[in-house]
Amino acid sequence: MATGSSAPARLAAALLAVLAGSAAADGQSPANGAWQNMRSHLYGTRDISESGDELMSIEAPGSTPDPSATPVTVHFGGALAGQVKRVRLIIDNNPSPLAATIELKPGLPLEALDLRVRIDRFTSVRAIAETTDGRLEMRSTWVNASGGCSAPPGAAQGGTLGEVRFRPSADEHSLLVSIRHPNNSGFQIDPKSGDPIPPHFIARVRLLAAGTVLMDAETGISLSENPTLRILSRERLPSPLTLEATDIPSQQLFTAVWTAPASAGTR
Amino acid sequence: MDRAGVRGHPLGVLRVLGAALLALAGAGAASAAGPAPAALEVREIARGVFVHQGRPLPLDAPGHQDIANIGFIVGARCVAVIDTGGSVSVGRLLHAAVRAHTSLPVCYVIDTHVHVDHVLGNFAFAADAPQFAGHERLGAALARSREFFLATYAADLEPPAAAAQIVAPQLTVPTGTDVEVDLGGRRLRLHAWPPAHTDCDLTVLDEATHTLWTGDLVFVGRTPALDGSLRGWLAALDALGRTAGVHHVVPGHGAPGDDLAGAIAPEREYLASLLTQVRAQIAAGHTEQEALRQMQFPRRDRWLLWDEVHPRNVSRAYRELEWE
Repeated sequence: MATGSSAPARLAAALLAVLAGSAAADGQSPANGAWQNMRSHLYGTRDISESGDELMSIEAPGSTPDPSATPVTVHFGGALAGQVKRVRLIIDNNPSPLAATIELKPGLPLEALDLRVRIDRFTSVRAIAETTDGRLEMRSTWVNASGGCSAPPGAAQGGTLGEVRFRPSADEHSLLVSIRHPNNSGFQIDPKSGDPIPPHFIARVRLLAAGTVLMDAETGISLSENPTLRILSRERLPSPLTLEATDIPSQQLFTAVWTAPASAGTR
Repeated sequence: MDRAGVRGHPLGVLRVLGAALLALAGAGAASAAGPAPAALEVREIARGVFVHQGRPLPLDAPGHQDIANIGFIVGARCVAVIDTGGSVSVGRLLHAAVRAHTSLPVCYVIDTHVHVDHVLGNFAFAADAPQFAGHERLGAALARSREFFLATYAADLEPPAAAAQIVAPQLTVPTGTDVEVDLGGRRLRLHAWPPAHTDCDLTVLDEATHTLWTGDLVFVGRTPALDGSLRGWLAALDALGRTAGVHHVVPGHGAPGDDLAGAIAPEREYLASLLTQVRAQIAAGHTEQEALRQMQFPRRDRWLLWDEVHPRNVSRAYRELEWE
């Protein structure tokens, strides 16, 4: 058992960090340089709406149990499901803030998207959705965490590189995809040798149905070890679905096919 | 703690803030930094077996250095210390407690696992030149944690905090085996477990009094913290529960007692329920956060620090079980 900290000096420092952190928590504050730079680079001066939880929301544990594997969920309300063509997930204070750029097949009625990410230090985590008619919606949340990018490989490391597990919900509206991969960030140290572990991560994930791309995600070092992706649709997911994941720098392609158990061969 | 430490911070901003304000207000004076008693309070629970019961404090509270059960066993020739507390100063108070009861030398310092609250006092015994003993994987676990300990727990070492104060074992016990050490007419049997609470759990059985020190394989009253393997921990508890003829049990946290099965049962029930429920949540394609919301633990009220520890356990269990 153990965790946590104290002793007056350390707590005083923590207090200062907290106060500084709450200033930076304001997405509009000038302290938040990473996002401001990315905003102008990615979206120029276009309006970005930030209101309405029914339309869109983002969820992550404010005090994450594990900075190296923090679950993030982006929800799309009924008015937005099917209208989103691109989602970007940005972790402001990560060394590589753009965690994922996800292109969706027009009309795919996506209600939620889940990823598991590394959080390097106290940060805003934001999702920006771009609709087929060119509107931008952004929601953000604050996560207290540190060390997620440099955390040593976990106990769950190993297994067969690129092994994929599919777990559908009973109604086949959602599919949880787990990929066996260290997704080394390049900021980790081998605890035995003390040497840096070179980056080795999944750079692209695609989901295809009947030759059509449903989802095409550019990812990177902010994904956790053994990354997971879940999609939740308003409708039953098409089957079979093919997953393709490509890593860097080895450019290995991992593929796997999910066939809906209830309806195998009938669609 | 190793990796769990890196992920650390199960504390909300408000709680950090509150703790910081308390510390600034001077409440920290009660901690190891303040005026200290001459020796740690210990209780002789069996002949020659002295236990200091750690305090049931949150992980971020002043006094967090003294939350684990630590103590020593006195033989005819020398003394074995079992766990040394969460700071060098707690280690020194334990050292003073040893000296208050015997003038025999300290020949072994046994670490039950890698977590800070059990090992940071090791350095207080370095001058006695005992054999430091632990699981064969303890050394690697300490190496993995070194940077984190220095970054986060520097105040619990002696200034200037240095890696040399994080003492690794010289006598190591291979996984799944026993090593006996002799204190002079008194043998202790050290057993190294496969991954369970951590990946380097060690238990100590004092043959003279049939006292079993479980380390953090057994938490009494405090929410068990998973940092090794959930399946391994359940298997270890089953094996530990079959230890014959135990008269006294010293858990890693909570009150020592004389009923091994009774000490294990609540923890086993929680861990078994965690295993069953997380497994079912994964099979249904639910995310970790959905699992955390949907699972039911009717007995949660009996556990201290549930809100701090349980979500982390779910996270650990989820990632262990998704690759079954």
